[in-house]
Amino acid sequence: MRVRVGERVHDLLPRATSSGSEVVVDGRPVSLRVEELRPGTFVAQLGSRREIFHCVREGKEIHLFWQGVAYRLREEREGAQGPRRGGAFGLEAPMPGKVIAVRVVPGQEVALGQELLVIEAMKMENALRAPRAGRVKSVSAGLGEMVSPGSVLVELE
Amino acid sequence: MRSLGKVLIANRGEIAVRIARTCRVLGLPTVAVYSEADARARHVHECDEAFPIGPAEAAGSYLKIDAIVGAARSAGADAVHPGYGFLSQNGDFADAVAAAGLVFVGPPGAVHRRMGDKKGARRLMAASGVPVVPGYDGDDQNDGVLLAEAERIGWPVMIKPSRGGGGKGMRVVERRDDFVAALAACRREAASAFGDETMVLERRLERPRHVEVQVLADAEGQVVHLLERECSIQRRHQKVVEETPSPALTQQLRESLCAAGVAAARAAGYVNAGTVEFLLDASGRFHFLEMNTRLQVEHPVTEAVVGLDLVRLQLEVAAGRPLPVRQEDVSARGHALECRLYAEDPDRGDLPSPGRVLHYAAPEGPGVRFDSGIEMGSEVTVHYDPLLAKLIAWGADRKESVARMQQALRETVVLGVATNLARLQAIVAHEAFRAGSLHTAFLDDHFSSPAATPELADDALAGLALAVARSGSEPAGRATDPFESVGPWRLGA
Repeated sequence: MRVRVGERVHDLLPRATSSGSEVVVDGRPVSLRVEELRPGTFVAQLGSRREIFHCVREGKEIHLFWQGVAYRLREEREGAQGPRRGGAFGLEAPMPGKVIAVRVVPGQEVALGQELLVIEAMKMENALRAPRAGRVKSVSAGLGEMVSPGSVLVELE
Repeated sequence: MRSLGKVLIANRGEIAVRIARTCRVLGLPTVAVYSEADARARHVHECDEAFPIGPAEAAGSYLKIDAIVGAARSAGADAVHPGYGFLSQNGDFADAVAAAGLVFVGPPGAVHRRMGDKKGARRLMAASGVPVVPGYDGDDQNDGVLLAEAERIGWPVMIKPSRGGGGKGMRVVERRDDFVAALAACRREAASAFGDETMVLERRLERPRHVEVQVLADAEGQVVHLLERECSIQRRHQKVVEETPSPALTQQLRESLCAAGVAAARAAGYVNAGTVEFLLDASGRFHFLEMNTRLQVEHPVTEAVVGLDLVRLQLEVAAGRPLPVRQEDVSARGHALECRLYAEDPDRGDLPSPGRVLHYAAPEGPGVRFDSGIEMGSEVTVHYDPLLAKLIAWGADRKESVARMQQALRETVVLGVATNLARLQAIVAHEAFRAGSLHTAFLDDHFSSPAATPELADDALAGLALAVARSGSEPAGRATDPFESVGPWRLGA
């Protein structure tokens, strides 16, 4: 999802990991668990740290109360309108597997069909290729990492 | 003396809820009144009965004397508590309630009128030895006379309507050349707002502190004070943060200020709870400003340090009982602070911010009190005062009450309407506030530009993403699978 708060736009890509869940925030993975205590009230576990927070949504508006501060955010459609700048497409793992090669780094320009990384699954190597030309925004998958279906591995701007 | 039965609360919001609480403690049934906009408001559910009194516009409902007295009659109420604002200082209302054979919880109409007239009140105070702000309160309202008086007082001068309040019809004039035009503007505003264009002039004091004395008087003429409150943190004549004891007062100054408050109440022939407001100048001299002939918004800080329930005392005095407290019984324990939570949008010049309360959590803990007029789902409309709730923190000393307030402010959750919460947090964290260096221009001096909302950290955004994905509050028709929003293409697709 993409959210706007004031002038800033953030891309948030939640995904499951072997140990739980994480969210890729603008290309930076944050590993955490979130439990709903009661409607609108949640507890986040970030390592040993626990943080109670509040979050409600009304249409496209998302209201967040985090560490004593109320924020009003707006959900924006990814890629639907406006400049692509700041936005990204997430490239997902198609199957459970192990990353055996990472061929790109953030900031790199890639061509259509260029190999981005390789996942080994069911004893086969599967190349993950760029579906279009663009710049690599982030690479969330590390060499040797086990990935599950749906987890975002590479983002393209 | 009579025993009070059912109490009609002629108000709304947090004060109506707060009054209903004390009535319940005393075993008195309560009656709420409400406008069309407030049919589902919190104060309506907190009373035993509720009567509609008119349209959303206050002029047709909460300010309509006939409608409220009519509701009191229909409900079989014995007493009417006016709260603050609305009709609370309206002498005609007090008289109409009394004429209907009901007890008005406040002073009689004549006292409201006496103190509601700034010109007369200034004269009465000066004659009773209570110092007033240097100024002019004469009958001659000729332009030339007023200009000459302004010259005598010295610039800058404040022009204030003799009848009125809330900053309407009021101007600060910096220099002679601007005076006559400002006077005309004040008269126009006052004539339309209050139906009277009599003006008083007062010297504009340089960065004064606002200190006030809580008084309590019974029908037998006993008057006591419940010490002072300082309310210097104001914006556009609206108080934001209040406290007691005032960090500005020495014990000697406190005694003379409180004695002046009692003298003012006696001079006014006061009955019930009231507040005498003073300005304290930089040289430590205080000057009478006005008397509020009602319960004050900030009364809970007094309750916290003196250990008395002011609404209970109001009801007892109104029932004709003698004051149950003597002056020598009154002493302050610790320090209390109040922050007013307003529905105001800091991003839009603090304009009132209507909306629905989508999420709500009240602070808790030792020494914390939360007087709220809202709850989850409440509609905050544009029709009334934007005050949502008051946070009160008590501590053994100012340092502790401030620390408790800071924690309470971090726990106060109101989502769906913009509030001044971040501003309140910034005020109590401010060095000058902590040092007790307060004055009525504090906010203008230290908080003139809107504070930027802090940047959201990655962990907060991550929490948000999972919360939105997990909660059932997704709008209809939207997928709840967080992974679906990832993107349209997959490997091998």
